[in-house]
Amino acid sequence: MSVSLQSDAIDVAAEYAQLVGDSPGAAVATFTGYVRNHSDAHAVTELELEHYPEMARKVLENLGQSAAERFDLSNWRIVHRFGRLAVSETIVWVGAVADHRGEAISACELMMDTLKTDAPFWKREQGPAGEQWVASRDSDAERRARWQSGDVQ
Amino acid sequence: MSVTIKLFSALREALGESEFELDLSDVSEASAQIDVAAIKALLSQRGAEWKEALNQPNLVHALNHKVVFTDAAVSEGDELAFFPPMTGG
Repeated sequence: MSVSLQSDAIDVAAEYAQLVGDSPGAAVATFTGYVRNHSDAHAVTELELEHYPEMARKVLENLGQSAAERFDLSNWRIVHRFGRLAVSETIVWVGAVADHRGEAISACELMMDTLKTDAPFWKREQGPAGEQWVASRDSDAERRARWQSGDVQ
Repeated sequence: MSVTIKLFSALREALGESEFELDLSDVSEASAQIDVAAIKALLSQRGAEWKEALNQPNLVHALNHKVVFTDAAVSEGDELAFFPPMTGG
């Protein structure tokens, strides 16, 4: 039940082993996000992630705790990178352990949908055409809103 | 009275500052309570770039690491951050 903000690559296998530990629940779900080589129609060669460390940690800790309460998780973990990232590197990893698959999967989805709009990170893309800050997407805000409106349980 | 102002992402880049102390002693003598809107108005007097950057419709304000509306009251020693919508994950 913890958060890591790190510039180092995410060791997914080690994170998974740590999450499950010696006594796994009946269901484990994880999500891994990678740097894409494109954004909409343009090519991306590198990504820089700026963050607000103190606030990011608090937001992600509260998010993990609220997911744990909502879905009765026995363990959870959120790992988010910052700094310069090459294409195909991991940006984010979340994991949830629960009694049933529905709760574990939903918890990962809730954590991802919420962190995209609520955790203070900003992506800056670099490509052949230069650098630019990534604009927020309405679709992300819509996915985030589903968890508050009661559309998903 | 003073508060710490932090700027991130495109806002930090546009205004060329990431963190500074803002002295509010003149303002705090004049009014009983200072809110985020009053600080935005004060910083907007620094020039056209500040006014434009701080009055973007989608600007986010975080007071002591929590997103707030502009009517949130600000106290001595608070940390107030301004930034564009977040794009992590």
